[in-house]
Amino acid sequence: MLAVILVPLLPLLAALIVLMGAEASRQQRAKIAAYPIGAAFLGAIVTLWYVATHGPLTVRFYDPASPATLAFPIGFYVDRLSAVMMVLISGVGTIIYTYSIGYMYQDPHDRRYLTLIGFTTSVLLCMVSSANLMMLFLFWQVLSFMLYLLAHNHAHAATLDGAFRTFTLLRVGDIAFLSGVVLAYQLYGTFEFQALFAKAAEMPVTLSPWPGFDISGPTAVTLLLFIGGMSKSAQFPLHVWLPRSLYAPTPVHALLHAGIINAGGFLINRLAPLFGLSSTTLHVAFVVGTVTAILGATMMLTQNDIKKTLGFSTIGQMGYMIMECGLGAFSLAIFHLIAHGLFKATVFLNCGNIIHKARQDPESPQTDPREEEKGFSPLTWSTGFVTTLLIPLLILLATHGVLQIPLLESQGAVIFLFFIWITSSQAILTLTRLRAIASWKVSSAMLLTLLFIVFVYLFAVESFTAFLYPNPDEVAAYFQAADLPNWLFDSMVVMATILTVVSWGYLYMRAHGHGRKMWIPDWVERLRFRLYVVFMNRLYMDELYQALGRRVLRVVHKIDKRDARWTE
Amino acid sequence: MIDPMFIPWLLAGIPLLGALLGFAVWSQPKKLKTWSVTVTLVSLLAVIASLFKLTGSTEGLLFVVLLPLAASVSLLGQPAHREYRLSWVVTLVFLGMGLGILTIPAPIGPIALTLLLGISTFLLYWHHNPFWGPSWLGIGTYGLGTLCAGIAAMTDSAIPSLLACVILLPLVPFHHGYVAALTRLPGSLPPFTVLLLPAIGLHRMATVLPKIPNVVISVVFILALSGALYGAIKALAQSRVRLLLAYGSLSFFSVLWWFVAGARTVKPQAAEFLGSVALVTGGLLLAWQVIRTRYGDDVDSRAITGLAAPMPQFAVLFSLLAVAAMGLPPFGVFAGLMGLLLTSSLTLSVAPLIVAIAWLAASWYILDLVQRLLFGRKRPDLRYEDVHQSEFASLVLVVAIVFALGLAPTNLFVGAPPSTGTKATMESVSWNR
Repeated sequence: MLAVILVPLLPLLAALIVLMGAEASRQQRAKIAAYPIGAAFLGAIVTLWYVATHGPLTVRFYDPASPATLAFPIGFYVDRLSAVMMVLISGVGTIIYTYSIGYMYQDPHDRRYLTLIGFTTSVLLCMVSSANLMMLFLFWQVLSFMLYLLAHNHAHAATLDGAFRTFTLLRVGDIAFLSGVVLAYQLYGTFEFQALFAKAAEMPVTLSPWPGFDISGPTAVTLLLFIGGMSKSAQFPLHVWLPRSLYAPTPVHALLHAGIINAGGFLINRLAPLFGLSSTTLHVAFVVGTVTAILGATMMLTQNDIKKTLGFSTIGQMGYMIMECGLGAFSLAIFHLIAHGLFKATVFLNCGNIIHKARQDPESPQTDPREEEKGFSPLTWSTGFVTTLLIPLLILLATHGVLQIPLLESQGAVIFLFFIWITSSQAILTLTRLRAIASWKVSSAMLLTLLFIVFVYLFAVESFTAFLYPNPDEVAAYFQAADLPNWLFDSMVVMATILTVVSWGYLYMRAHGHGRKMWIPDWVERLRFRLYVVFMNRLYMDELYQALGRRVLRVVHKIDKRDARWTE
Repeated sequence: MIDPMFIPWLLAGIPLLGALLGFAVWSQPKKLKTWSVTVTLVSLLAVIASLFKLTGSTEGLLFVVLLPLAASVSLLGQPAHREYRLSWVVTLVFLGMGLGILTIPAPIGPIALTLLLGISTFLLYWHHNPFWGPSWLGIGTYGLGTLCAGIAAMTDSAIPSLLACVILLPLVPFHHGYVAALTRLPGSLPPFTVLLLPAIGLHRMATVLPKIPNVVISVVFILALSGALYGAIKALAQSRVRLLLAYGSLSFFSVLWWFVAGARTVKPQAAEFLGSVALVTGGLLLAWQVIRTRYGDDVDSRAITGLAAPMPQFAVLFSLLAVAAMGLPPFGVFAGLMGLLLTSSLTLSVAPLIVAIAWLAASWYILDLVQRLLFGRKRPDLRYEDVHQSEFASLVLVVAIVFALGLAPTNLFVGAPPSTGTKATMESVSWNR
């Protein structure tokens, strides 16, 4: 099955078709190049079918046992995870490329841009099908530079500045990744995934970087690799590059949000057996993911620009995805990133039209003219109550009994369910804009939709987990590795429940009054405004990084001046 | 058939003879340049033909191949102007001496090294800037190097040899000669000496290292780490391109010192790393030469912006060189660094962190330079002209060589096994470097 290497090579061919040739045939070549990318998508589907039925594919252009071969061990290892990612990337790549032909029509930079799209798709496909850690790291870094190229515009100062910062931050992650790769090789003497996992499991290594501080080998390696993943997946505090890259053409964001940014989730899944050996790293991932999810979502709510809103929404979702990894729900993270990738690509490809429409029609988007219930409605109140409190309990018990998913024994699954509940409640309540419309039809539709979505989601996730990780013991081992101490877990659940219910009540009451007066202390209101400003300014993280950069440069120039004075 | 004993003499003799014959076309710069390039190509062919008959030193025979290549690209990238004639002839002389030092055994090699450093000192004095302090420091450093190389040639003692090495392959605080050579020497000399002198330094180090006392090695270790940081800091502060490149490469060479001092041996990976860093720096110097040819020797890099659109070929080649200089794959700098990292025994400590910072800083100052030159607004008052054929050829060659270095197996240039004393280094060559 050497043909599998055609999948990453076809987008590269597309890039070359666009790049090379006369100016007169530029448009024609741009259209022709869509076919190789489409063919790559079809090839990825065939590959997925093949690996699902025949097992993983391995193509190596080096001999791992040989003492001297090429500098970079180039090879492809395609298992179910890689094949799924290849389908996602090539599929989204095809849509984005086709869309971009029209979107960038007559743009002076269209050739460069379309070439970069083809090239980036190829790099992404190579990355997800890497046969070893070294090749994965190689394409990981190339991706950093591709992102820089995609995010910048020659003549636009702000874009250049954003692209520069993007690349610098991504390089910070690359360095951590490099350290992880080198440490892994120093400890286990191999880059081959399967051999690496086997050796890491067999050889318990403890490192002592300084007296009194011990760290296990897998923890040190995975922590370093995780920092690399944090930068690509825009995790707090390395998230600032994402909003700064929003000047790039809109289809770039579709590719970025559907493909590139998922690299962190993919990395953890690719190295799942290694991450599964380190509870510490999984807990760190859980904390980082949770903080990113909360901050990203909060910042999203306070932005007044559609692209920034979507950008921060992605940060929140990526936080959520990393949090899932931190809970040991690795396959779930992949499910999430596929769903999010498709959803966000669609939204980004549409947002240009919406901006255009809004510019044409200042009234857009139209508000719902329907009258709302002025007084207190027991129906709407009870709908909200059932949605937020009773349904989760029902789901918990039903999934445990009916779907035979051992939710009650797994902390990770409970937390996941908890987040399904919060997200779906929030989605429904946000979609209906907390309108107090006393209608049995609306209430029933809401409840049934919620139930349907959650059950289907759970069923799909369970099936997907069985597809990616056919061995249930492996899945259970990851959940077990991610288990938090019971007291911490219980208090987190209780705190989150109280916070959610109180917040929902507050939002419901505050939306239109609904016939109830709510007393809120002044200091809470003042704090709310202050926090709003802080989050609207994105926690002043950009300014903080800028100040840090200026500070470093000031020190650098001071040292340079002193040195120059000494040598003169 | 030529006796293998005479091959090194032949390799050294071709460029020296070429330099001598070059005076026949001295009055015709175009012909002299063509002649010089031809001599370097003949020299390269001679090296390739005799590669498997040469005895491999611990760092391999990579430098013997790279030197004629570097000389030819350095010459190709120069404008055919009268003022550069001497630099072309001296490049040939340096090439001959360099090949001699790398291949001819003692005592000729060390004597040739003394002579080479002496000529470099003289050239630095000739082109020095009396108003720029580091110029004098550079002359002084190379003067000291000449003295140390002379003592080492006569007595074979370790410390003078090591001092000569730290001046050739720059190590803080003996880096001023290197910085002055890159910034003050004319024409084709800076892009060539950036490889020649450090390569000879590394080659000499292979024989010197086992004789150095542990205390001195510890000092070298500390100086190397300080130098990695110092070079990165200085490069970040520079607005002058040649100084930025000099300090940037100093930072990378210090990283190399750290590895070599730690391992107390010179591996083929070290040669690959050094060769790549030097070639990339030389390539960027050649690219800067393209700008200087168009806008004057004293052009300020901050005044030239927006070259990407009007000079697309230059922009692409310059970007590729920058990518290589930042240590990104698939170029030789990354491959060399990975090779060093994977074949050394590292510990979780401050030292690898400093190396990582030096590597990160390169992304900062090199990318800043790229953005400054290539992007931003096009100036209406400037006349833009893309690279000429010879400039294009030289830059493409550098990119191709650095790319090939990134992909080629390390043991490609190991050469014939030496008779004694270098077995250990072969064992460290692994498939993934």
